[in-house]
Formats: sequence, C-alpha cells, structure tokens
Amino acid sequence: MRAPPTLISHRGVWFGWERGGWRCQADGVQYRPDASELLDAVASLLEGDVIAAVPPHLQHQVRVAANLCRVLQRESQLGNANDAAEHDRLASILETGDHDDLWSLRAALTARLDDPAPIDPVLDRSIRAALLATLRADLAIAKPGYDTSTGAP
Amino acid sequence: MSDRSLDTAALADWLRDLWMVDGEQALAVEVVAESTAGARRRNLVIDVHGGPRPGRFVATVLPTADIAILSMADEAVVRTVAREHGVPVPEVIGVCIDESVLGGQFFVSEFIDGETIPRRLLRLVHAEGIGQRIVGQLGDGFARLHSIDPALAPAAMAARIDPVGAALEAAHLVVANLLQPEPAFSYALRWLREHQPDEPSERRIVHADVRTGNIIVDRTGLRSILDWETAKVGDPMEDLAWVCTRMWRFGEDHLTVGGLGTIDTLRDAYLAAGGSWDEHRFQWWRVLVTMRWGTGLAGQAAMHLDGRFSSVVMAASGRRVAELAYDALTLIDAT
Repeated sequence: MRAPPTLISHRGVWFGWERGGWRCQADGVQYRPDASELLDAVASLLEGDVIAAVPPHLQHQVRVAANLCRVLQRESQLGNANDAAEHDRLASILETGDHDDLWSLRAALTARLDDPAPIDPVLDRSIRAALLATLRADLAIAKPGYDTSTGAP
Repeated sequence: MSDRSLDTAALADWLRDLWMVDGEQALAVEVVAESTAGARRRNLVIDVHGGPRPGRFVATVLPTADIAILSMADEAVVRTVAREHGVPVPEVIGVCIDESVLGGQFFVSEFIDGETIPRRLLRLVHAEGIGQRIVGQLGDGFARLHSIDPALAPAAMAARIDPVGAALEAAHLVVANLLQPEPAFSYALRWLREHQPDEPSERRIVHADVRTGNIIVDRTGLRSILDWETAKVGDPMEDLAWVCTRMWRFGEDHLTVGGLGTIDTLRDAYLAAGGSWDEHRFQWWRVLVTMRWGTGLAGQAAMHLDGRFSSVVMAASGRRVAELAYDALTLIDAT
C-alpha cells in the first residue's frame, strides 16, 4: 500500500497530512484512486461525453449505468457502517449473541416473520422500527432523499 | 417520425374491407408518429386519407400474441363496454385478429389529442391548475367502470378466483422465491395476512393499471384512460389503490393520486358517482400493490442474473427494491 507523506498508524489505518488536509487510508487498499474515486470518474464519463455520443435508444441505459456508479460510490462509503448498524439492530431484536453474521440474522428474522405464531405487539413495533431504519440506510445509498420527501406514503 | 416497418397498404386494404369501400374510391394510410410510451405494444398514430371516415386514428399492434395478457379482441370489447357506460375511452373502430395483415393482432381506435408522457403531463396539469379536477374525473370514471354488470365482460375475464385471496397467495409465492431473505417483505406479507379483508361482495370489471402514464390529459382535464390489456374482473378497491402508489407521482409526492391530487378528492368523486368505498380494503390493497411492485423489481433483478433478460436496467431494478419496501412499511406504519 501507499501511505501518505506524514504518517501516523493507528489500528491499521494510516493518517497523514497531504495537500493541506488530513487523509486517512486503510491497510490493504491499493494505490489511489480508491473505489469511490474510480466510480466517480466512471460516472462522470458516462453522464458527460458518453451520453452525448450514444444514439437515443441507448441513452436511458447509459443514464441508468451512471446512476449505478453513483449508487456503488455511496455503497463504498456507507455500506460497511450500514451493515454493522443493521447487525446490531437485528441482534438486539432477536436477542442473539454478536457471533451471528448479518445473513444469518436476516434469515432468522425472516423465518420468525414467516412463522404464523403470534408476535407480541411491542416486539412487532420494534421489528418495524428496525426494518424502517435499515431501509432508510439502504435508501441513503440507493436513492438519497427518498425517505425525507414530504407527503403521504 | 414515420415508421417504414408498418405495412400501410395492408392497413388501408383492411380499412376498405371494414368500411366496405369499393375499389374505385381512394383510401390511403399514412403513419404520422409512433408513440414510445408502450413497451410491449406499438401505438402508431395514422392519418386516413379518403374513404367514409378520413382523419386521424391510432393503430395498436401487438407484435406477438403469446405475450398478450388479454386478447386484443377481448380488450376491444372491454373498452367498448366501458365507453358505453361513460368511462372516457377512445372509441375502437375495428379489431383484426389475423396476424398476417400487419404481423400481429391489432385494433384501430379514435385518436385523442393530449399529453400522456408523465413529467410533461404533470407540468401541463400544474401550469393549468387542473390536478384536482382530473382526480375527480378519475374517481367518476372508476365509479362508472365499477358499476358495470360484470356479465358484460368477455368470458376470458370471468373471475374464477377470489381477488383478495389470490393476490395474497401470489404475494406469498414471490416472497418465498426471492433470491435472498428480505425481512421487510416478510413483515409486509405478515401484515397483509393478519389484516386480510373479506372477499368483495361484488366483483367488478377493473382496469388494474390506471395511473399517470396511462391517461390522456389536455388543458380541459382528463380525456381518456388507455391501455386496457390488464383489465379483469376483481376487487374495485385494487384500482383505487394502484393509482395512489408512489411511483406514479413522478416526484410530486405531496399529491398522493398520481402526482395530481388527493385521496379525499378521489373518494368524494367516487362516492358522488355511486361508487362504494371500503377504507379498510383500500388500505390493504395499497400495501399489497406496493409490495407486489417491489417483488416485481426483485424479479427483474433475478431475470438479469439468471440470463433470461440481461440488461443494465433490469439489473438496476434490484437496487430499487428498498424504495418499495420502504413505501410498504411506511403505509403499514400509518395505519
């Protein structure tokens, strides 16, 4: 990996002063641009020169592709934190230990909801609140602003 | 934009037979435009020169019959029945089920001038301040459609199933077959199961796809309801719920009914025209159709991944699932 010029390493993350600002970079990341910066470059190309150059029947697809780059860019920034927060919410609701991975927790909650056995109303409300919190976090990646738009659902 | 792939001479000959125009009289067809709105069907605006009824019409051509939801002939019957009961629908001039004429079944209908493309339509509506009027006209149109004796519907549309139970059953099936567990859909499904209303006391002809994008509007208001290929005999509340789903608001989220106006206006107009509104059933259908659209998007992602329909647009649908899951849970949260 490449480390910034003035270096402090703390738990695998390098911090450095570079071009008038603090930069940090995790161990194991390849030479910059990182994923987010690359996706930004690809999205800009698609939204600019490419959309102008392709025939009309391809423009919608190019626009969608550019948007997907933006989605992935946000995912590279927010995805890990979102997953960790969802993991904690589900572990708390299901009252399991921290050892289960996110996929197992999702599967366990899905199985509980699919089971017709009654669910206590208080628990039901916490499940709904947790699912809505996860969906808001998903939307911050997939479609920022969707959950803050005014008006009835 | 003219489309050279439409056999205008064959269409002219077919209109000659339909109108019993003798060989001496001139009759010609010219393609004026092709609407890009319909994904599966081609809608061609045509000018008919000569004959007993010269003027502008629309030819709706279904490329292959095997993807028809409702046959073109049955759709023409429903359109005509609805029109006779005061629902704004373009008049069907004639239907052709012989695929050899234009390379697919088709019908020719009256041309109604106006705006159909959602964002342009909403700009026009809000510039003219006619959103609530259009919602009132939609409520009135729904009440007229739902008042029709379903015995007048084509036999293929006859309800062999209970609409509420069948919709719930279908939702179960898609959730069980999702690519990955999605607790939000399981939650919505559970809510639908626990709040399942009785089957409607009367099953009626429903359009099942009235929305911004399937209507023609001009500055006077609603001109026509289009695309009747999804029509069926079912629960009237499904129609009223579908037009309120968020994807048909095109960003005008404060206007629940298609980005045009409010549910109160829709309900008032529906009741005033003799419709009977069932609020519990309406809310249930709102959650169901929202979730159904969300699982539909998940299905598109699956079709991309397994190669049935590889496309970046289908792939992107997978990342839109959260929108619909969020809408469904927000609707449940509000009940």
